[in-house]
Amino acid sequence: MLKHRKKEDKKDHKKKSHSSIDSPRKRLFLFILGGWLLLLLSNQVDEFSLYQGAFVATYAVGIASIILLTGYSGQLSLGHGALMAVGAYAGALTINNLKWHPVVALIMATLIAGLFGLLLGAAVARFSGPYLAGTTLALAISLPSLANQFPILGGQQGLIFDVGATPARFGDEFSPYKWFFWIAALAALIIIWFVANIAASRFGRTFRAMRDNPIAAQLCGVNVARQKVTAFAISSGVAGLSGGLLVMLITGVSPSAFPLSLSLLLLSGAVVTGLYNLKGVILGGLVLVVIPEIAESLLTRIGGSENLAISLPGFLVSALLILAVMFTPNGPEHIFKRKH
Amino acid sequence: MIRNTRTKRAVIASALITAGAMVLSTIPAQATETTGVTATSIKLGISSPKTGSAGLVYGKVPGAMKAYFDYINANGGVNGRKITLVSHDDKYLPRLAATQTTKLVLNDKVFAIVGALGTATHSNAYNAARLARNNVPSLFVNTGFSGFASKAKYPTAFMVLPSYAMEAKIMAKFIKDTPALAPQASFLIAQDDEFGIDGVGGFKSGGHTFAATPTLYPQGGLTSALAEGALTSLSAVPGKPILVLFGTTDTTATILKAAEKLALTNKFTFMAGSVGGDANTLLALGVKATTVDGVISASFFPDAKDATDEYVKQFMEINTKYNKGVSFDNTVLQGMNSAMLTVQALRAAGKNLTRTGLMRAIDTKGSTFASAGLAPLNYSATSRVGYNGYWIGQLNAKGELKPFGGKLTLYTTDSASAPVTASTFVRKSIPKNGIPNN
Repeated sequence: MLKHRKKEDKKDHKKKSHSSIDSPRKRLFLFILGGWLLLLLSNQVDEFSLYQGAFVATYAVGIASIILLTGYSGQLSLGHGALMAVGAYAGALTINNLKWHPVVALIMATLIAGLFGLLLGAAVARFSGPYLAGTTLALAISLPSLANQFPILGGQQGLIFDVGATPARFGDEFSPYKWFFWIAALAALIIIWFVANIAASRFGRTFRAMRDNPIAAQLCGVNVARQKVTAFAISSGVAGLSGGLLVMLITGVSPSAFPLSLSLLLLSGAVVTGLYNLKGVILGGLVLVVIPEIAESLLTRIGGSENLAISLPGFLVSALLILAVMFTPNGPEHIFKRKH
Repeated sequence: MIRNTRTKRAVIASALITAGAMVLSTIPAQATETTGVTATSIKLGISSPKTGSAGLVYGKVPGAMKAYFDYINANGGVNGRKITLVSHDDKYLPRLAATQTTKLVLNDKVFAIVGALGTATHSNAYNAARLARNNVPSLFVNTGFSGFASKAKYPTAFMVLPSYAMEAKIMAKFIKDTPALAPQASFLIAQDDEFGIDGVGGFKSGGHTFAATPTLYPQGGLTSALAEGALTSLSAVPGKPILVLFGTTDTTATILKAAEKLALTNKFTFMAGSVGGDANTLLALGVKATTVDGVISASFFPDAKDATDEYVKQFMEINTKYNKGVSFDNTVLQGMNSAMLTVQALRAAGKNLTRTGLMRAIDTKGSTFASAGLAPLNYSATSRVGYNGYWIGQLNAKGELKPFGGKLTLYTTDSASAPVTASTFVRKSIPKNGIPNN
């Protein structure tokens, strides 16, 4: 009887995984389809849209790192901007000092930030809730200033992050913004695919168990401290990649490129997306890029004072944040699901 | 490993299509030589801080430029074309400067960038917006970082301010030649970027030795506590030490207020660089008039409060009419002067306006443009250096900069090893009603 039930469960699980879009095969297919559509799109839009699109992809990677950490493993970080800075500096040093290929620099950005996250995670794994948030907040404030203390990091002026000319095979007239877009979009797709796979794996299940009830997870044999560090390290690596992409787009890395506001902005983007919802990260990135544009356009139309100019983008993001928390706490996808 | 044959086929097909699409991707429309120019208009752009702490000091630049362009437009424009100025706020952040300048080039499709402000901001923005690749002129960059004069690195950029290195060399010469200052120990507090480092290099090539290693701090990173600490430790130095402040005006204000708090205002001779010596801003930031009185500073402009100067008088009139409610100061003077240079450059480029033609016009005729600056402009086929000189003055309690010792002496030099010499340069008179006729 028990054997029969197990068989049925297995069949049912198999059926579910085949029909669900969360199955690994369909994830891979959607990843390739998404890449193909983005590639076609990149030939249809102007250079500025490509540049903005690259920022959307970059922020999406940053938001994915927060969703992995906060949404899946239940740890709150207010200092992901600092981890992005670690990746950005690692990437710049790889290009400038080792003269390695920019793609290798982005991989180095991911690995070094991941390693930094591993060490930091080992130190802060005992913290939780506001204490972890406070520690990462302190990191976001202090790390950029620390960069000024080491001449190799270029002081306040920072370092150049130049990916160089576009590949010769595309011709001299090939747009660098399209190249940026391809790199950033591909990175975003890989990260979304990677994080989705993690979420669906043993790691993801232990992360969720740890998030929902750490004591129960521990009783089930989960090493909570180690899993927390693992989640922090993976999230840091993803944030490092996002930092590398960001400074690729602005061609330089300096402490002022990673203010505290960037960390808070990413967190806002993650909340708007839905902290437990990886599918909305592109939307989150889009919000972060589009809101300042909307604010500027509004100001141009209605004409506002300097104070309004300063506060309007923040006000719009805050309003969106409140609305998201009130009406779509699990992300915009939730609205469509409820209708069925 | 993909085991399902159908999925494997789909993956291979997608990969092939992707590769094909990459190879056959269409070539984007390239920026042209006349982007931003129509028969009736010329669109220019500026990215500068309008908000934030730097916005307090430099926020008036775009408004001042726009006011001058509006004045020119009201008087017929340039060769029948009206100038529009698209202005974006970069909050003095390199990240925003990069995106805003890229936006000006790709989205707003401006003909040229004018008056971009800041070293770290514009060097990032210049590369990010691919100004060199798109052949977009960056006219009259508002920074003294000598690197922008490098035609190899910034082929479309034109400096306007004398470099920080020139300023430091001239200050070094002034200290050496002034009997009251020469014997005193001197100390340098400077910003830790190309701004301060250019200055440190300038003092070195000017042969000046400070009594201690310069104190460098990150932009915006000099807190009241740090300033008080630095002043307290220097207060033990005998005599009346010279404190050279090579930073922005808000930092000068922090140090002067710290001196007030510690009752050390009379202990030091304060010497602020031109960037950090704007008296109006110092007073607005709460520095006492008695503290401002006596601060030594450098300038290449006439004093913005000197209404007897023909340029200042004309710009004040334009400011009153076209920039309503904005008080006239050094920043407004600088903005209007850059706008006046821009109009002359556009006129010199002729009716068939092109980006290359505009840059060639400045290379060949830029040194003859009329301007409020008391130092000569140094544009040529091989030089992108703007002004190359300074005069040293002393602020009074009203915030006016008066020539030190009562007589204005202009010193000129270069950013390298040329000596500092007293100049006899006499600037051109202002064109009638301030409207260029070149």
